[in-house]
Amino acid sequence: MSPSPLDVYDVVVVGAGHAGCEAAWAASGMGLRTCLVTIHLETIAQMSCNPAVGGLAKGHLVREIDALGGIMGLMADQTGIQFRLLNRSRGGAVQAPRAQCDKAQYRTAMKNKLEKVPNLTIFQGIVADILIENGRAGGVVLLDGSRIFGKTVILTPGTFLNGLIHIGLASYPAGRANEPASRDLGDNLKKRGLLSFRLKTGTPMRLDKNTIDWTRFEPQPGDDVPVPFSFRTKIRLENKVLCYTGYTNAKTHEVIRANLDKSPLFQGKISGIGPRYCPSIEDKVVKFPHHLRHQFFLEPEGLDTAETYVNGISSSLPFETQIAVLKTIPGLDRAKIMRPAYAIEYDAADPTLLFPTLESRVTGNLYLAGQINGTSGYEEAAAQGIMAGINAALKILGKPPFILRRDEAYIGVLIDDLVSRGIEEPYRLFTSRAEYRLNLRIDNADQRLLKYGREFGLIATDDFLAFEEKAKRIAAAFSYLETAKIVVDGKEKIALRDYLKKPDIRLRNMLEYHQNLAALTDEEVRHIEAEIKYEGYLKKQSKEIAKVLKIDGLKIPETLELSEVHGLTREAVEKMKKYRPRTVGDIKKIPGLTPSDVFSVYVHLAARKKKHLGKGDIVPRGTFDHAE
Amino acid sequence: MLDYSLEDTIIAVSTPPGRGGIGLVRLSGDSALSIALKIFRPKKAGARVFPGRVLLGNLVDPEREESFEEAYLIHFRAPHSYTTQSVVELSCHGSPAVLEEVLRLGTRLGARLARPGEFTLRAYLGGRIDALQAEAVDDLIRAPNSEAARKAFGHLDGGLSSKMAGLRRRLVEILGLIEAAIEFPDEKLSVSPGKIGAGLEEMAGYLDTLIASYDAGRALLEGVTLAIVGRTNVGKSTLFNALLGHERAIVTPFPGTTRDFLREKIRIKDIDFNLVDLAGLRLAESSVEEEGIRRSREIAAQADGILFLFDASKKGLEEDLGFLEEFRDKKAILVFNKIDLGRKPDLRKFRTRLGRRPCLEISALRGTNLERLKSSIYKAFSPRIADGGDVIFHLRQKLALEDMRNRLRLAKRLLSDGHPEEFYVEEIREIVPALGRFLGEIRSEEVLADIFSRFCVGK
Repeated sequence: MSPSPLDVYDVVVVGAGHAGCEAAWAASGMGLRTCLVTIHLETIAQMSCNPAVGGLAKGHLVREIDALGGIMGLMADQTGIQFRLLNRSRGGAVQAPRAQCDKAQYRTAMKNKLEKVPNLTIFQGIVADILIENGRAGGVVLLDGSRIFGKTVILTPGTFLNGLIHIGLASYPAGRANEPASRDLGDNLKKRGLLSFRLKTGTPMRLDKNTIDWTRFEPQPGDDVPVPFSFRTKIRLENKVLCYTGYTNAKTHEVIRANLDKSPLFQGKISGIGPRYCPSIEDKVVKFPHHLRHQFFLEPEGLDTAETYVNGISSSLPFETQIAVLKTIPGLDRAKIMRPAYAIEYDAADPTLLFPTLESRVTGNLYLAGQINGTSGYEEAAAQGIMAGINAALKILGKPPFILRRDEAYIGVLIDDLVSRGIEEPYRLFTSRAEYRLNLRIDNADQRLLKYGREFGLIATDDFLAFEEKAKRIAAAFSYLETAKIVVDGKEKIALRDYLKKPDIRLRNMLEYHQNLAALTDEEVRHIEAEIKYEGYLKKQSKEIAKVLKIDGLKIPETLELSEVHGLTREAVEKMKKYRPRTVGDIKKIPGLTPSDVFSVYVHLAARKKKHLGKGDIVPRGTFDHAE
Repeated sequence: MLDYSLEDTIIAVSTPPGRGGIGLVRLSGDSALSIALKIFRPKKAGARVFPGRVLLGNLVDPEREESFEEAYLIHFRAPHSYTTQSVVELSCHGSPAVLEEVLRLGTRLGARLARPGEFTLRAYLGGRIDALQAEAVDDLIRAPNSEAARKAFGHLDGGLSSKMAGLRRRLVEILGLIEAAIEFPDEKLSVSPGKIGAGLEEMAGYLDTLIASYDAGRALLEGVTLAIVGRTNVGKSTLFNALLGHERAIVTPFPGTTRDFLREKIRIKDIDFNLVDLAGLRLAESSVEEEGIRRSREIAAQADGILFLFDASKKGLEEDLGFLEEFRDKKAILVFNKIDLGRKPDLRKFRTRLGRRPCLEISALRGTNLERLKSSIYKAFSPRIADGGDVIFHLRQKLALEDMRNRLRLAKRLLSDGHPEEFYVEEIREIVPALGRFLGEIRSEEVLADIFSRFCVGK
């Protein structure tokens, strides 16, 4: 069924990358008529850069997306060819799964999955503009002039808006190597005041695996027992490939230095701001002159391809220089480049112009997700995608919006950072960005978020029942660990639970001695151990959180005369009148207000009440209305 | 931001820092009374607390059930209190050691140290006073401060700020190192636990020195307390008057004239000294005198230093030396008075028992050697601050620094006990904002909060 002018969708998603796929999946999964428009059906869920999903904070995000009912985790498990749980030597809060995926399989798997959704239309077309009436989006216009109407529009254009690729001093417009950029859409969005930044990112060269001397590199195997991303994955995971590590050397750096005059980055040709945490190799060589070598990783792009991704050598140097660079590295000296490395500049929007629902404050019913909001990374994009999809659906369904707090999910940290702090460079999530890191773990993502996925109808009954079973097993194990005692040093008898608090005592080593614990899965063991080892901190932090929630939940009465609030500037009063916050927590989310504005209102309210915050004033989630 | 939660019960010393006749600890919040009653034992068995009525009792450390101070407790029921919350005031003796102990116990039992001006903030939030009144309270408190002290404070504080900012940079550096290793496990970033541990210890050590400088800082700001100690009738009050330059204490030929203590300020060069004239030490002849002597001992024990007076005209020193023994660990000047009546004892004979303390012969009555005594006092007791050494002045600073130092040491312990990085990083992550608060850098609630942050803690 192709979209006809008579069709009016509930949700039109523009772009079928990692954000778009999750958005379309969530919106359609919530029962809404959804249309996913993409330039090429062949590149749905294309991994534009590295052939991997997950890692620190990113693996956390995938687990959270999964608990909400998203699909990135399922797809990554299904198409993964090597699995590792990172930071096994550290504690549960900073462990996260990472998987090398087969890029082609990932695309196909995602496409097949989406194709099976009955109320989701997938359509190939180039969107040139959004239809806007009375300041609200009402659909999109394609390059050929045809229209697709939608009550809401979710934009997930990735790097395609006025994308410009640089290889050496040459440049050409493209959204991804050899794919057309979205120039009309970019220009039109800019005219409408929706775009503000020019950002830059880069990707390394892909090499022919048959031309690499693999003996020169150190293999990096997957885990013996792979840990899946998804709580719902039932297939057995298998490591099918190895990755390898290698190093650049003094000669490599010499070649790079000698060719900086041909680098668009150092010649000022690139105006876009690049990510500091993912620098190009020329950046690394210039910024760290005292480093004699830089590590890189060789990662296969799939099972049925010779293409090999060189993680760590992204570059915008000319093609000849890229060849010269490889020649300096033993093992890569005869390697053939199948795709050159390049840098890409693209237009992005200012995320502080978004509501925490990811709806634009500039244009109603328009949601933005992914790189357009200044983030980088598949997982960051997917997380925004599912949140935009859910919120667009909730708005149409007339239900309150869904906003995750910083203390309940990395997704909350990510979106709050974006909409309230804005960005200065492509944003990547780190675990250290979370105030409550010890509680935001992969092993409790289901505990934290599955209830929401269930509420939205994105988690199947069977999966929810399985979760409840798991919760029961965990509770039983906890009560056993509290009652069962162990004799330490031949005298002191202490509960296993307390014994486990010692850093070198591991629950998995106890299992064989305790019948009551035998049924626990690895996942559950990790969960119980983290809860016990972090207990002191978790308790303290949950108290802190309750305190903040109470303040945030303080309601702002309709009758409040803002001009009477001592210490509020006129701008602050105007902003508050515009956004009409309902609680103190809402005020915090209004962009451009200073903490002192929030404080003034709080003080005014508390003084007005002349009594202290009563119990039951807590508002569980954000209470922002959808924009009118 | 907005850590001004009204939920917490807060505690602070409400009287000015330093020694005084009375020291008031104030608690405000839902658990004010329950916390206070855990450390307060009424003298009269079964006595109950009535709002607004004074109750006499002992303060005890509930863990040891051993009383360390006598105090009055007054409870103000919400909303009939300064803050409009439940408020308890514990009126103790104005001894920093005692007051610190009360704060320590209070915070251990669940109260939180009040931020500067937080009692007044609560009064404001409770609708009891308006913002202008709130500011006026601050002005009143500040007015009597001497200009010189403020300048000295500002000057020294500037140097301290930059050092603390440096400390913060180092902390952030260490944090960055550990966080990078956590976030990029594949990059083989080496974090040497030994190095990190040494870094943490070094910072904790620096904080130790700062914390130790509190005594000097306080002395600089509030004066050095010097107790005049000695047997009865050795001329303590005469010396007190002589140093003061006027007849403040009553002097009679009768031993035991001074029963309560007198306190006056004298200035030698740029330093204030708080002279305390105490009751003479001897076997008391009445219960009033006994109480006076007991208090004298206590005050002398807490003073920054003592002037120990002998009667040079009397022969036997045995009794004096016995009393001197009590102050073995105290900084002291040994003063031999009444040399106008002749010099009887042979000091060389007592040299070893007197210790390596400065000795001086004077006549308080005639004024002989008084100037030399003053310069000895200055030399021996004026607060010593090494060139470029940093000093802290306020209990609030001391407690904040102690909190940071304790976290650093805890982080180091967790590290050496083998806990993974994300564990001890939690402690370090807490210190960075605490340091910011200490420096006043994080002024997130500029307008109103600024008013309140200019208060002394506890008012």
